[in-house]
Amino acid sequence: MSRPGFVLDVDDRTPPLIVHEGLGFRLESFPLGTRVVYPPESLPAVPDVDQAIRDALLHPHDMDPLPELLFAGMKLTIAFDDISLPLPTMRPPDIRGRIIEHVLTMAADAGVDDVELIAANALHRRMTEAELKHIVGERVFRSFYPQGKLYNFDAEDRDNLSHLGTTEKGEDIEISKRAAESDLLVYVNVNLVAMDGGHKSVGIGLASYKSLRHHHNAKTMVQSRSFMDHKHSAMHHSAWRIGRVIKDTVKVFQIETTLNNDIFPKPYDFLQKREWEWSIKDQATMLGMRRGLSIAPPKLKHKMFHDLRSVYGLTGVNAGEVEAVHTKTLEKVHQQHLVEVQGQSDVLVMGIPYVGPYNVNSSLNPILATCMGLGYYFNSYIGQPVVRKGGAVILYHPLNEGFNQLHHPSYVDFYEEVLAESTDPAVVGEKYEQQFAEDPWYRHLYRTSHAYHGVHPFYMWYWAAHAMDHVDEVIWVGADRKVAARLGFRAASTLADALEMASGTVGTSPSITYLHNPPHLLAHVR
Amino acid sequence: MSFLKESVDDVRLVSRGWRWGRRAQVPRSAEEYVPAAKSTVFPSDWSRRKPAMAAREVAQKAGLQPLFRSVSRTRVEGLDVLARTEGPVIFVANHASHLDTPLILLSLPDEWRRRTAVAAAADYFFDTWWRAVGSSLFFNTFPIDRRGGTMAATPGEVLADGWSLVIFPEGTRSTDGWMGKFRMGAAFLAKEHGVPVVPVAHRGTFAAMPRGQGWPARGRRQLTIRFGEPISAGDDESVRDFAARVKDSVAALLDEDRSTWWEAKRRSADGTTPDPTGPPVAAWRRVWEQTESPEPDAPARRLAAWRR
Amino acid sequence: MMLALEMFRSVPRTVAGRAVGGRMPGILSGFAAPLRLMTIAEPKIDRPGWARLKTRLSGICGSDLGMLSGKTSLYFSAVVSLPFVPGHEVVAELIDDCEDLPAGARVVVDPVLTCAARGVEACSACSTGATNRCERITVGHLAPGLQTGFCKDTGGGWGQQLTAHRSQLHPVPEGFSDEQAILIEPLACAVHTALRAGVATNDRVLISGAGSVGLFATLALRHLTDAGEIIVVAKHAHQKELAREFGATEVVAPGEVLRRVRRSTGAFQLKPEFSAPYLLGGVDVAIDAVGSKQSLETALHATRAGGRVVLSGMPAAADLSAAWFRELEVVGTYASAQHEESFRIATELAATDAVQQLAKNVASYPLHRWREALDHAHSAGRLGTVKVAFDPRSSR
Repeated sequence: MSRPGFVLDVDDRTPPLIVHEGLGFRLESFPLGTRVVYPPESLPAVPDVDQAIRDALLHPHDMDPLPELLFAGMKLTIAFDDISLPLPTMRPPDIRGRIIEHVLTMAADAGVDDVELIAANALHRRMTEAELKHIVGERVFRSFYPQGKLYNFDAEDRDNLSHLGTTEKGEDIEISKRAAESDLLVYVNVNLVAMDGGHKSVGIGLASYKSLRHHHNAKTMVQSRSFMDHKHSAMHHSAWRIGRVIKDTVKVFQIETTLNNDIFPKPYDFLQKREWEWSIKDQATMLGMRRGLSIAPPKLKHKMFHDLRSVYGLTGVNAGEVEAVHTKTLEKVHQQHLVEVQGQSDVLVMGIPYVGPYNVNSSLNPILATCMGLGYYFNSYIGQPVVRKGGAVILYHPLNEGFNQLHHPSYVDFYEEVLAESTDPAVVGEKYEQQFAEDPWYRHLYRTSHAYHGVHPFYMWYWAAHAMDHVDEVIWVGADRKVAARLGFRAASTLADALEMASGTVGTSPSITYLHNPPHLLAHVR
Repeated sequence: MSFLKESVDDVRLVSRGWRWGRRAQVPRSAEEYVPAAKSTVFPSDWSRRKPAMAAREVAQKAGLQPLFRSVSRTRVEGLDVLARTEGPVIFVANHASHLDTPLILLSLPDEWRRRTAVAAAADYFFDTWWRAVGSSLFFNTFPIDRRGGTMAATPGEVLADGWSLVIFPEGTRSTDGWMGKFRMGAAFLAKEHGVPVVPVAHRGTFAAMPRGQGWPARGRRQLTIRFGEPISAGDDESVRDFAARVKDSVAALLDEDRSTWWEAKRRSADGTTPDPTGPPVAAWRRVWEQTESPEPDAPARRLAAWRR
Repeated sequence: MMLALEMFRSVPRTVAGRAVGGRMPGILSGFAAPLRLMTIAEPKIDRPGWARLKTRLSGICGSDLGMLSGKTSLYFSAVVSLPFVPGHEVVAELIDDCEDLPAGARVVVDPVLTCAARGVEACSACSTGATNRCERITVGHLAPGLQTGFCKDTGGGWGQQLTAHRSQLHPVPEGFSDEQAILIEPLACAVHTALRAGVATNDRVLISGAGSVGLFATLALRHLTDAGEIIVVAKHAHQKELAREFGATEVVAPGEVLRRVRRSTGAFQLKPEFSAPYLLGGVDVAIDAVGSKQSLETALHATRAGGRVVLSGMPAAADLSAAWFRELEVVGTYASAQHEESFRIATELAATDAVQQLAKNVASYPLHRWREALDHAHSAGRLGTVKVAFDPRSSR
C-alpha cells in the first residue's frame, strides 16, 4: 500500500534531509519550521502489463477499438515520445516498445503494409540508433529501421512538412507530412508528469519551429500558471487549439501511459525513502556514496548517475480520443504526484538533480539547470506557486558541468553571447531568437548530427520566464559564482548564506518550503 | 586531508541526525504517515552462531566468572543429574535477583553452559542494541515476550537447534525473596517440544543482591544452588498439571537445600513440603527471613580445594 | 657620456630566453635579457639634416620584448647592428636646430631609416613614398638597421640621447602631453594597418588581440574605414572596456572567438582531427595583432574564403593551409609609410578623447629600473596597462 504525499514540518526530531545537486547530493539541516513537501509513495503497478495494453487498445475511450480502425492498404503512422521521457531512462523493456509491438501485431493481423514509425522529437536532438532501439525494442527496430521506416522527426525538412492551416488565433499548424497524410496516426506517450501528453503530443512533438514559436515564447510562458496544469496554461491552450485543428485533418489514436515513482533502483533506493525511515544500511550506503562521489573524477560520477536505469512500474494505460484519454491519464498522474500544500511561503528551496529532459546521456549545462529549477520544478504546482510573489528561490546545483558540444552547440553561443547582453527572456527572444532559429549551421547540426535545434536554448529560458517574473531573488547554493552571475543570479556556499542574502527580500525569518523532488511531485497550493 | 575531514564531518552529521545508538525518531508531523513498528526487538540469532559463542566464552571465562567469584561464594549440588541427562532440557528456577542467571550459568558444566540460552524479557533486555548485545554476550539471553507477541526467534527454534533453555517461570524477580506464582510457559514448552524439565533451586541471591540494588552486597555472600532430577510430562498429562508438578519439584528442591534430601523427600511424600511462597506474615518478616544467608555460620575461608 | 640601455650579443642569454622565457617570464627581465645599463658615448652627427635629440619618453613595444626574449626570427639579424640602444617609439626635444625645426622643439620620431636618412639615392620604394618598404636599410653611411632603435649609429629611445634625420621628425602639437605623443608612433603603424587591411564598406573585421596594436588598429579602422562589425578578441577585463571605447562592436574572449564569428556570420564550423576547429565562411578581414601562432591561426581560421588576413604583429610560424585552401590574401603591415601621411593622421587620432584617456595610463620608468619596466611590459595586459615607457630624464 503506498502512502500519500504529505508536508513535513522540520522539527528537532528531523534528521538532515537529502538535497540533490547535480552529480551528487548533500545532507541539509533545514531551519526548524521549514515545510518539506514529500511526494506520495509509488503506486502499485498493474499486475499484467500486456493484458493492460490489450485492454486499452480493445476498449478505447470515445473511439472504435484499434483493430476496427486498421484495414489493408491504409497508411499507418506510429509516433512516440522521444528520449526526454521518462527521466531517468526506463530499464528495458521500454513501455513504448511494448505498446508499439501490440499495435503492430494488430496492424499485421489487419494486413496493413504501409507503416512508418516517427520519434516525435520536435526540435530535440536526433536520437542515436541505440537510443531508438532502446525505446521501440529490438524486434521493432530490426523490422523498420534498416528500411528507413523508423526515424527521427526532422522539423527542418521542408519537403516533409505540411501546413494544416491556422487556428482561430492565427497560430500556424505545421506538422510532419507523413503524419498529416496518414489514415491513422497512433501516438504512444509516456505521461511522466502532468504537462506531458494530450494535444501536446502530436501538436508539439511533430511540429516545426514555424508552429512552435506561437506558444514557445516568453509571453505565453509567463501566462502559463502553471504548465503542469493544462487548464491554466497559455501554452497548453495554444496546443489544445492546434490539436483540435489537427483532429479535423488526421485521425489520431492516442495511447497514454502513466508510471509510478520508482525512480531509484537498488542500491540508490534510499534516495526515495523518507529520511527518518532510513535503515542502518541506507545510512551506510548514503555515506559510502557521498564519500565516493567526493573523490570520484567527474567522468566517473557522470557515468555512475547516467547509467542508472529506473525500474518504473506501469500504473495505467489509456487509449482512444486525445482529450478523453488525457483526462483519465491526468487522474493517475495526480494520484501519484499530487500533494496538498497550505498556502505560499517566502522562500522556495529546490535541489536540481543530475538529469533533465534535455541532457539524457549528456551534461546538465547551466542553462538546462536553470530550466530544471525555475522551469520544471518551480512550475510543479497547481493553483498558485509554492513561493509568494516577490519571494526568493534557492536552488542547489554546482553549475559546473559545462556544455556538451555535440548536443548543445547553440547553448554555448546563447550563454556566451546572448546572456552576456541580457537575461530577460522577452528581451533576448525579441533580439536573437530568429537569428538562432535560422542559423544554417545549427540547422545542419540539428538535421545531421545530434544537436538540439538552434532555438532550443531560448525555449529553456522561456520555461523559466514565469519564475523569473514571479520571484525577486534567485540564489544558487554551491554554484560557481561566475556562472551564476552570467545567468543573472547569485551564488552562495551554504543554505545559511543564501538565506542571509535573501533576507533583503524576504526578511530574516522567512517561511521556507523545500520540494523533496525527485521523485516527481506536484504541489497543489491552496 | 580535506577528504578525511569531510568524511568525519559526514559521519558525525549522520550519527547525530539518525541518533546512532539511540532510538530513531520520527518528525512529529510525519508520525501519522509512519506505519506502526512491527517489532522493537533487536534480533538475537547472531548470538547463537560460532563467532558470538567464541566471544561469549572469552567474556564469561575471563570477565564474568572472575567477577562473580569475587563477589560471592557458591555451593553447587546435584550436578550429577546432568551427567545422566541428554540435552536439550529446560532449566526451571526460582527468580529472586539478577544474580540468578550468572549463578545458574556458571554452575553448569562448560559443555552445558555453552549451549544454554536464557530467556530474557524482550522489553527490558532487547530494547536497545547495546543492552541486547551485552546481555546476549554475557548471559546467553534471547528475547521472549512477557506480554505476548511475535519475536525475532521463538524458544521453540532455540530448542530445536539443540540449545537448552533457562526459564524463570515467575516471569519477574521476586520482591521479597520468596517464590512467586509460576506461569505455565515452561511447562508448555517442555510438553510441546518433548524435552525434560530440570528443576533448579537456589538460595541467597536475594540476600546478596535484591531487586533495586545494582551491585552485590559486600562480603562475598554465600549462594547455594541445587539441580534436581529431570521430570517429563506424561503423555496424557495436561500442561496445567505438569506445571504444578514442576513447581512442586522446585519447592521440594528448596526444601532439600534448606534441610536434607531425606527429610525433604519425606515431607514431599506427606504433602507437607513448606510453601515456597512463604508464610502469610508481615512483609518485613518475609524479607527478614530471606535476607539471611543460606549458611550464616559459613567460615570466611574454606579449603580452596573444596571451593567451587 | 650618457646613460643608456644597450642590447648586446649574448648567445647563452638569447638561448635561455627562447627556451624558458615562455614558462618563466621572470627570467626574461632577469638573467636572460641581453640588455645592460651602460654609460656610453653619445651618438655623433656629422652630416647635414641630422640633429641630436634629448629623449623625453620612449615606449616599450611588443617587438622589443620579442627581441629581448629571443623569440624574434633570426631573419631580422641581418638588418640590425649590435650593440645598439633600443627604443623606436620616441618623444624627444631637439638639442640642435634641424633645418626648419628650432632647437628645443618637441618631436616624435618616425623610426624607419630610409634612403634619405642614409644619404643614398632614393630607391624605388622611397621615391614613391612607401618609405617603410625602403630597400637600402643596410647601406649608406649608417650601420645596418631597419629602424632607429635597431641601429648602433643612431642610438635609440632607451638612452638619454639619440640622433635622427629631419625626414624622420614630426613636431608634436602644442598641448600634447609626452604620454600622448608617445602613442603617435604606434598609432601611425595602426593607420598604416587600417589602410593595408583593404576594408570595404560594411565588411566584418576580426581583430585578434587587444594590446596597444589591436586597440589602435580598432581605433584606426573605425576612423578611416567603413567597416561594419568589428569583433575584438580581448583577454583581460580592462582590455574589453577599452576595445569598446575604441570602436569595437563586440568583444570576445579568446576561447569564444570562433563560435562568435560563426554565429554572427552564419558560417559552418568544422573540427579536423587533432587540431583546432575552423570555419567555412567567416569575417572579411582578420587582423592578427598579437603575433603568436595561436592568434594567427585564429585569424586564418575565422576568415571567409577570399578574405584578407593582416599580419600586424610580428608573426610566428603557423599552419598556412587555410591561406591556400581558402585563397586568403595574407598581407603584412610594417611601420608606416610617409606618403600616407600616417603621422599626420596619427597625430589627429592621438587628440581623440579615448587616446587622451589612455595616455594618462602610460607607466613610465627611469632607465635604472629597466628590469621592473620590462616585467611590467610583459604582463601589461593583465596589469591593466597599455603602454610602458622609459623616461631617461628621471632618476627615480
